[in-house]
Amino acid sequence: MQSTQTKPNGPVAASFLAAGIGSLVLGILVCLNELGGDISKFLAFDKNFGLGSGVGPLSGKATLAVLAFVISWVVLHFVWRGKEVNFSRVFSLALILVAAGFILTFPPVFEIFVPKAA
Amino acid sequence: MQLTDRELWALIHGMGLGAVFLLAFGGGIAGVWSLRSKYVTPEGLQERTPRLLVGTAVMAIVAWLTVIVGTWVVYPWYRAAAPEGTTDLARFPKALLISSPDTAEWHTFGMEWKEHVAFLAPILATAVAFATLYYGAQLVHRGEVRRAILVFFTLAFAAAGVAGLFGALITKAAPVA
Repeated sequence: MQSTQTKPNGPVAASFLAAGIGSLVLGILVCLNELGGDISKFLAFDKNFGLGSGVGPLSGKATLAVLAFVISWVVLHFVWRGKEVNFSRVFSLALILVAAGFILTFPPVFEIFVPKAA
Repeated sequence: MQLTDRELWALIHGMGLGAVFLLAFGGGIAGVWSLRSKYVTPEGLQERTPRLLVGTAVMAIVAWLTVIVGTWVVYPWYRAAAPEGTTDLARFPKALLISSPDTAEWHTFGMEWKEHVAFLAPILATAVAFATLYYGAQLVHRGEVRRAILVFFTLAFAAAGVAGLFGALITKAAPVA
């Protein structure tokens, strides 16, 4: 009955899931940066693309996470526009992704990825 | 009594934008939580809905401004490398913190967590703002979305809270000046 009285929930589900995707991408990039080498150099968007000055790899991590959020939101929005989706299931998935993002940005977790000195 | 440019921007970042987000959270969460048909009359709904829409949108914008200013204005001053042979590290907060085992964890744990987890706040707050703007007064009929908004809102506050707490403590240990 709710669905006939209110707008379809697809676009809102899209925004929540996209937020989860953006959070997860941020967490993954934080861990990848700890590996150092080419990945870390690439993430220095301030040097590579002039996105700020002196920000270092955080510029790439933040920019790519936000892009993942925005792009996935746009894609999901068009896929679910005008549709009623299983919101509980989508939100549960979004929560898992956000939780993963939180965990992967926690220093004792992402420091696991720091290469051991020889 | 005066502030340097760096202190002013650090103040805008933490005590201005960041504090506004954290302080507005209480009002926002109460507004969403009480948006139920059994608690509000149709007239009450009409009166409070615009305030809620504006409030969540402003909170999302403020959260973005906080991380943008923090990352691209204040953070480069924090992490600037001290020139070789520098003995006075007062203008190089990161170098100052890691120069002593007693303070190194303010950077290796505090700042390393803060600078990343802070970005979750605007992302989550944006989803909250969109859901609120999309449904507006119809949220009273959408319990599952309202609950999801409350959860994301709380997580955004938690992320901003961690960032704000460590920001204040790190500034106390090694201010950007």
